[in-house]
Amino acid sequence: MNIITREMKANLKSLIIWSIGVLFMVGAGMGKYAGMGGSGETMNELMAEMPDSLQAIMGTAGFDLSKALGFYGLLYLYLIVMATIHAVMLGANIIAKEELDKTVEFLLVKPISRVKVISFKLVAALLNVFVVNLVTLVSSIIIVGRSAEGEKVVGDIVLLMVGMFCLQIIFLVIGTAIAAVYKNAKKAGAISTGILLITFLLAIIINLDQRLEALRYITPFKYFEAESILNTSGLDPVFLGLSLIIVVVLTFTTYHYYKKKDLHL
Amino acid sequence: MNVIEINRLTKMYGKSRGITDVSFSVEEGEIFGFIGPNGAGKSTTIRLLLSLIYPTSGSATIFGKDVVKFAPEIKKEIGYLPSEVFYYDNMKVIDLLKYSASFYKKDCTKRITELAEVMELDLTKKIDDLSLGNKKKVGIVQGLLHEPKLIILDEPTSGLDPLMQQRFFDLLEKENQKGATILFSSHILSEVQRLCDRVAIIKDGAIVQVEKISELKQNNYKKFKIETVLPLSGDYFEMPGVNQLEVKGTTTSFIFRGDINTVMQKVSTVEIANLWVEEPDLEEIFMHFYQREE
Repeated sequence: MNIITREMKANLKSLIIWSIGVLFMVGAGMGKYAGMGGSGETMNELMAEMPDSLQAIMGTAGFDLSKALGFYGLLYLYLIVMATIHAVMLGANIIAKEELDKTVEFLLVKPISRVKVISFKLVAALLNVFVVNLVTLVSSIIIVGRSAEGEKVVGDIVLLMVGMFCLQIIFLVIGTAIAAVYKNAKKAGAISTGILLITFLLAIIINLDQRLEALRYITPFKYFEAESILNTSGLDPVFLGLSLIIVVVLTFTTYHYYKKKDLHL
Repeated sequence: MNVIEINRLTKMYGKSRGITDVSFSVEEGEIFGFIGPNGAGKSTTIRLLLSLIYPTSGSATIFGKDVVKFAPEIKKEIGYLPSEVFYYDNMKVIDLLKYSASFYKKDCTKRITELAEVMELDLTKKIDDLSLGNKKKVGIVQGLLHEPKLIILDEPTSGLDPLMQQRFFDLLEKENQKGATILFSSHILSEVQRLCDRVAIIKDGAIVQVEKISELKQNNYKKFKIETVLPLSGDYFEMPGVNQLEVKGTTTSFIFRGDINTVMQKVSTVEIANLWVEEPDLEEIFMHFYQREE
């Protein structure tokens, strides 16, 4: 328990900053929608005239931008990028920082097993990403709700946030696993964010070229896209299952490697 | 009973050496010195004992329990002071000590204030603002606050001024009298000499010798300085047991270990102007261990 409290305190500042960040993103993003006024249809036409590739890169394909929720779907892409960057960095850092700050000699000479240390840290990290998710959820419901004229948005936003939470956990454990596996703690953060960037770019490349559809299983950014969540029946059970498998495997990896790791200073 | 038992402990960092085949044991209630130059493997051995790193081969037990398998259990009774202390940023001294205490299932509040008083440590300061010496004091309090049965110290005196060093040694002696066993690693001989009962000397990752301080100092070694009438050839005293042979004109000096008669016979065959036979201090004996294989 003491480790969880310690971690919550240590991460409080960063949590507040990220929360303000997503809040600002939702506010400013939806502010743009409100600013368009009734010109939503024109916006749709404008978008439609853009080359497909540009649409793919901006992630605008398939959204009805004249609707608040459609516009929010566009914004969702940027929200998940923010939330996953937070998660992956938090995951890598929460494990690696004891080695980086050389506090392993403090923590791991205490009568506590490494398994417990990891468990407490994972709980603290989960609480952190949960708060970011909750802030996004609440601010989205309020801000999108205000722009929506009679549209029902809450259900869809909740679904989107469940998807985002899955992605957050996936990237959180990508971070912890890398920090546990890599001998050099300094590189853990860089490698983790590198993986995030690569999977994100891969998702865009898949959007550009339909022939690469098969690769969508490799990049989590293709698992819960706003387009399919909003336009069809919600979260895809295949990808939910796949997410679960990834999270279980990477959590196991984190424990397994950290247990055996030589902690260097 | 042996509190620490190290059995052919070996640690390789990839292909580079950590320690090889280290074996020694520390008895209950003793203050055991662990000396060697920087990079000899003292910290590696200690980190293996604390299972911060894991052995390539060999094993070690503390309180009769394997250090890897029973790590969390063993650590209830271990207090550790690292050579360099690093703490979480942005914490007050008292918060850090309370955090440290929260891992042990006993109330350490009284003990914290006691120790802080002895070491003249301001508990309300932020750790970031502390000097190196004061950080070290935090480490000392932190290592002793749960009244451990085994105290492991890795170069504990660096950064402490002589007065505090004295207080710290007094503190250790008090803990020792109460029954605590102490493993004291250092490269400074005088402090080991003062405090320890026995000492293990480590060099290049291997134990060179384990000996009682008293034996190391008294029994075997003699420091010879001989002034002869005529200059001697450089290798005149080259014989088994002679170390650190130095010839400067008519003055010859060396450290001798072995049957004193053999040297005396050799001395008697030259005409001498003056002769000193002294107890070498530990430093000089120590040099002998370092130089032997070179």
